[in-house]
Amino acid sequence: MPDFSSQPFVEIAQRLEVQGAHSWLAILSSGGDPTAACDDLGTELESLLQMPVRVVSLKSSSFDRLREQLHQPEDDTVILFASADLEAGEWSSLDTMRSALERTGPIVLWIAPDAVAQLTQLAPNIRSFIGSSIFLAGPEPGIMSDKERENRLEELRQHYQLSDQEIVRRAKAKELPPEPHFVEWLVLLGRGDLV
Amino acid sequence: MPLRSRAWPCFPQCSTVQQVVRSEGAFVLPDHGRGLILKSMSSPPSTTEVKLQRRERFRAYMQAFNPTAPPQDAIEAGLVCEDLHGSLFQNLAGRADLEPGSQQLLVGGVGSGKTTELILAVRWLQEQGHVLPLYIDISAETDLSSLNSGALLASFGLGLTRRLWEDFPTLRQGMEALQGPGKAYGSLKEFAYGTRQRVWVPGDEPPEPEDEEDEDSWGYYEVVGIPGKLNPPALPVLSRDVQEIRGPLEQFLAVAKDGQKEVMVIFDGLDRLLDPTKFWSVASQDLRLFRELKVSVVSTAPLSVLFGAGVGQSVSDHFDRVHHMPVVAVDPKRGLLQSVLEKRHGYELLRGFTPDSVCEYSGGVLRDLISLARDAAVEAYIAGHDSVTSQDIENVAQQLGTGYLRGLGPEDIKILLHLEKSKSFDVSQAANVELLVTRRVLEYSSTDFRVHPALLSVMPSPEPKSA
Repeated sequence: MPDFSSQPFVEIAQRLEVQGAHSWLAILSSGGDPTAACDDLGTELESLLQMPVRVVSLKSSSFDRLREQLHQPEDDTVILFASADLEAGEWSSLDTMRSALERTGPIVLWIAPDAVAQLTQLAPNIRSFIGSSIFLAGPEPGIMSDKERENRLEELRQHYQLSDQEIVRRAKAKELPPEPHFVEWLVLLGRGDLV
Repeated sequence: MPLRSRAWPCFPQCSTVQQVVRSEGAFVLPDHGRGLILKSMSSPPSTTEVKLQRRERFRAYMQAFNPTAPPQDAIEAGLVCEDLHGSLFQNLAGRADLEPGSQQLLVGGVGSGKTTELILAVRWLQEQGHVLPLYIDISAETDLSSLNSGALLASFGLGLTRRLWEDFPTLRQGMEALQGPGKAYGSLKEFAYGTRQRVWVPGDEPPEPEDEEDEDSWGYYEVVGIPGKLNPPALPVLSRDVQEIRGPLEQFLAVAKDGQKEVMVIFDGLDRLLDPTKFWSVASQDLRLFRELKVSVVSTAPLSVLFGAGVGQSVSDHFDRVHHMPVVAVDPKRGLLQSVLEKRHGYELLRGFTPDSVCEYSGGVLRDLISLARDAAVEAYIAGHDSVTSQDIENVAQQLGTGYLRGLGPEDIKILLHLEKSKSFDVSQAANVELLVTRRVLEYSSTDFRVHPALLSVMPSPEPKSA
């Protein structure tokens, strides 16, 4: 059975950022405590997208309450948290109220992996909005290996024709131009304190 | 913890490392206190300008291919092919205009473009000058799962009064005469939102001797809530209820007529009632009154009203016209789907065979087409490609297909494989109607049904028959 693509939170954020307004996306929790993982996603998105993120539970939420929550405000990011015990009737209700959920800010539907079946079966209008944007919450990319780190430093050195020592000297003298690669360079050298 | 409040001496305008890099057009990962990982690490350094140009190019494309943006925005931006369904919107609008009190149904699957056609119809009607078309997405206003008879009339009444008041200042004098206690507007609001009434409740016991001079004391008054039609129902549905609103509505329609405006209503969102019997139970009484009021109605309905034993007939009997919006055929010679991509400037990023591939995998479902075109571009953007590649499309088609595949049991798979092989599909079977409603099976005509191509691409192959 084919599976959904696994994406770390940073790529999920990047997708939301490039998709722009009105975007919808579904994330399947990948084991562990789904509530904690959902909160982690919220923290990461807030940091990466630089916009407020709210987690809204779908369990026992009424039409009026949900509509109000999604529209006040309507331009932040909302993670709709569908707990594993969301019942068939609740999925159907969610589907019928899709128009009431439409908003400018992104919507991320956080669901259990098994719940994709319910999403497709009981909420075809919501699924249609999500399209192919269903992803497994993937592990965050690890810290670079020493070799990867050295390779990247070498790329930077060659591109700018500068040595590590020169970068550190210029950073100390506050002479580095505002270029993200220099931030990256300093961080890779373990001198994030100079940024 | 993400780095949030640190001062960055090189970049005094930025308070976080994310802002530093975002302001320069790149992307940084917070690292839970273990240093920083930058997204750009895997790619060679390139100038900020080139990156920004690339991002702007992709963003412009995304804006045109936004499957969840309001259709109104796409229409206004000139991104919609208006003749995609043979100018269906003109047929809808023209008939509503020529036959006051006519009732038309627009039936189509999820993502087929019904709302776009309705909004085009509204625009056409407005251009006629003498028409006041009210577009009401009932599913945005009230909880359809607890909808009852009278809700369409209530929404219509409130929408009409709002439009007359806001858009026609010259009619306000006539409107003001209908406000106040016991007048039409109050009745309308009570009908919509409910009211509280003092009712006499007879007692079980005869009055005590000392109370005999008060004959009314054999019982008591109680204040009860009478729910409105836009609130969850608690009372049995009575056609008498629906009749009560006739008078107030007639008075407001008369005000519109004084302003030389003929009112029509277009109900969107009723297609969310996937169960056709539910659709019919909600709509039947309200539609009767609309016909009596000579208000033309166009309404959406779920695909299931056309299929299933007995239901399709009962619905079509009650409408002057039922318009079916089938899936758009994937025909490269006619190129209808390709024209959708072209209209949205898709060829900026879709090159070579990729547009045809997107069309194929969409199966002709318009929202899937736009969604696949957008999501393939997101894949390309993240992978660092300059345009959409075949692999980007394969990736998103697999994602879409996997979504359709989940939840299908062995029996469903058997039906789908049989359909693929024999091209036959029995729409009187409830399980088959469900496959249509959930878009696993697409209807190209009343006799042409096919498995959604994205689903087909991920479906398990049939097991070979043992010898």
